[in-house]
Amino acid sequence: MATRNPARLIVALAVAVVLAIFLLYTAIAGKSTPQLSPSQLSGHAGAVSVVGVVVGPVSGDSHSQRGLRFGLRDRGAARGKVVPVVYHGESPPPLFKATREVVVTGSFDHGRIAGAGIVTKCPSKYTAQPKA
Amino acid sequence: MADLGRAALVVSFGLALYALVVGAIAAHQNRRRLAASARNALLACFGSTLVAAIVLATALVRHDFSFSYVASHTNRTLSPVYSLSAFWGGQEGSLLLWLLVLTGYGALAVAINRRLLRDLVAWVVPVLGGIATFFSFVLVAVASPFDTQTAPIDGAGLTPSLQNPYMVAHPPMLYLGYVGLSIPFAFAAGALLSGRPDERWIVATRRWTLAAWMFLGFGQLLGAHWAYVEVGWGGYYAWDPVENAALMPWLAATAFLHSVMVQERKGMLKVWNVVLVALAFELSVFGTFLTRSGVVNSIHSFAQSPIGGWFLAFVVISSVFSVVLILWRLPLLQARTKLESALSREATFLYNNLLLVALCLAVLWGVLFPIITELVKGESRTIGRPYYDFFLRAFGLPLLLLMGIGPLIAWRRTSLRALTRSLAWPVAAALTTGIVLIAAGAGSSSPGLIAYSFSAFVVAAIVVELVRGTRVTGSLWRLVARNRRRYGGYIVHFAIVLLAIGIAGSSAYGATRERALRPGETMTIRGYSLTYQRIVHPPNANATETRAVLDVSGRWNGKLSSGTNAYRNPPETSNEVGIHTSWLRAEDLYVITDDIRPSGVVYFKVLVKPLVNLIWIAGVVFLLGSAVALWPDAREQRRLVLRLAPARA
Amino acid sequence: MSALAIVLAVALAAAAVVVVCLPYLREPEVEDDRLDAPTEGEAKRLALAEERDRALAALKELEFDHRTGKVGDEEYRELLGPLRRSAAEALRALELSDEAEAG
Repeated sequence: MATRNPARLIVALAVAVVLAIFLLYTAIAGKSTPQLSPSQLSGHAGAVSVVGVVVGPVSGDSHSQRGLRFGLRDRGAARGKVVPVVYHGESPPPLFKATREVVVTGSFDHGRIAGAGIVTKCPSKYTAQPKA
Repeated sequence: MADLGRAALVVSFGLALYALVVGAIAAHQNRRRLAASARNALLACFGSTLVAAIVLATALVRHDFSFSYVASHTNRTLSPVYSLSAFWGGQEGSLLLWLLVLTGYGALAVAINRRLLRDLVAWVVPVLGGIATFFSFVLVAVASPFDTQTAPIDGAGLTPSLQNPYMVAHPPMLYLGYVGLSIPFAFAAGALLSGRPDERWIVATRRWTLAAWMFLGFGQLLGAHWAYVEVGWGGYYAWDPVENAALMPWLAATAFLHSVMVQERKGMLKVWNVVLVALAFELSVFGTFLTRSGVVNSIHSFAQSPIGGWFLAFVVISSVFSVVLILWRLPLLQARTKLESALSREATFLYNNLLLVALCLAVLWGVLFPIITELVKGESRTIGRPYYDFFLRAFGLPLLLLMGIGPLIAWRRTSLRALTRSLAWPVAAALTTGIVLIAAGAGSSSPGLIAYSFSAFVVAAIVVELVRGTRVTGSLWRLVARNRRRYGGYIVHFAIVLLAIGIAGSSAYGATRERALRPGETMTIRGYSLTYQRIVHPPNANATETRAVLDVSGRWNGKLSSGTNAYRNPPETSNEVGIHTSWLRAEDLYVITDDIRPSGVVYFKVLVKPLVNLIWIAGVVFLLGSAVALWPDAREQRRLVLRLAPARA
Repeated sequence: MSALAIVLAVALAAAAVVVVCLPYLREPEVEDDRLDAPTEGEAKRLALAEERDRALAALKELEFDHRTGKVGDEEYRELLGPLRRSAAEALRALELSDEAEAG
């Protein structure tokens, strides 16, 4: 058989197109945010997404000038550095409270996280965790 | 009774291990009675797992808090139904459900095919035994649902957001899907192990794959609806790793359902098909792990979860097994024919497969991105919604288009002339839709516009197919009966179109407004004006309900209430949104109370979501189409028996 | 461990052992303990039968596609010949193999 299977050609072309789209995406729109734990924050500045456990007291409210204030600590760490968070915007999700694992997106500056979004983990996870 | 549960799981483990080891020896040494014994072990494994499941279910319903699992997932106030649903509310219970469904499916598949495909089944048994060995081992040694403790007076309770009918149905549905994908995997691996080049495994597993795929798809839509009405943030899909966990195997299975037809018709794509079956299976195991262990945002999350390392090891071992097996049997998987033309049905299936797998891998890349960047750069980075939305458009829109073109193209090859003739109506429909939409002012979103035009194209293509077919056969009924699989498939295509219209409508043409209102104040959105009246506290035994009552006028006149429930046990709060569905306008008015202040001020977030209901209707149409394709076909059955019978005589 | 649980667990384990041993209990002595896997001839026949079904399905499909207008007259004529030939070949090969088996 002198002619190659056209299926191969199509696959090769398709793979090339897909790769090109990936490259294009990363070149134009490829924005990723560093995802850190509270203890890794020092030295960073700007947009971050921080994964940690909420440390009380939770005070204030997200709609006011002062914002909602709480702390974040590394997951799985009983003690250790607590990074303060000031959060503005929509009220946090109903599952948000001290001891819960959350992802806070926002920016980190002067030792403080200015939060713009809070995501709690899927509720099915909580039941699997031992009571804190 | 926890001891009985534990013992039953140990027995299950022993039986699964027996099915694996002895089954492999029997198949390898070609020993009939030994193979039958291994097969029986698999059936018995289902029996003993069922005993363990009954022990756990009984403990849940009877509030036996000496079971740690029962104590940490239920409490006395929980109704029997929700107590039972805690079976899959936690990690240990859902792993037990996995094993139960796996052994149940496996026993059934093996029992059904034991006569016609005896030589093949001999190799399927050890593969299923291997998977069951892993899950029963985890249940016995790592995450036992039968750990006991001194019974506390009351349990911790079930998270309120899980206490609703959706969460009773959604997880088992997903598990039926996830686990169902291990049956085609086991048969494909069995066929390769047995070293036979025939395609009996495809015939034997076609309906299993379809059923698993249907459960997985419908389960996801149930989950989306739950998120929409119960979680109450105004959306239905957030590209969360847990959600992606179910989407990825579904995409791989969708690709397989299409490409397997090419193998049946033309004897091509054999390697590709076994790769897809293995991919779907690995992704379903990975998905189970993601769902059970939480956000994979770091390498450490594997270590933090007790089951993480084991699952990772299992995924690696089973992937290596699959790859080695496929490479070893490569000579058996030679294609019999070649692609005759780039303009043929089989070629469109190939394009569709590439797009589906590309989308699946793009999602996988997004899920794994934090881990990969941590490994490569030493810093974990995430990519959010824009990434997924980009790839959904980049691969999803061409897929939508292909869904219209594919059915109009004949197998082997189609001349451009015949294709142009077939495409005339669909293209006209797409153009008309596009022009009408632009005239109506829907040009604000080009992805939305494209999605709608393509949707019109697909619907027109399906109609053209049905009309032409009906003309030949005389009646639509006879046409569908002639090839249920194909026309069931078209119904599913129609469901996907509805889904696409719903997604495009609610995301591209929706509106959102946030306002803080005092009693008597009014806000407007898209022709609705909402006046906040007062706060009420409807009675509820288990929670303090707070509702803000709104008078709505304008496009719709009525009352809506929205607020929160503060549960006493467990002490958690849930959002209770107010939704008004207008079926005539096909849009939802969706009210979230973001914050209720003691001062009387309430922060409202109001959304108007056009066409969102089509997504839920799509779920019903999807089920209908799958059922048509699944429906037993007596003629097909006779043909198969005729094909296989002489070999068994 | 409660007595009842022990009894039930032992019963379960015993039942499992019985079920697993069943093939040997049922047939303590057999002449032929081989898995009745398809012989060389049967495997070949199966392959031929798959080929036949595939060819016949393709013919039927082509017929239907032509009648619904998906395939033009010209292509229909072009495709029909080879498909008919391969279907006839498959049928003939199957007959030959059946005769060989019988004879």
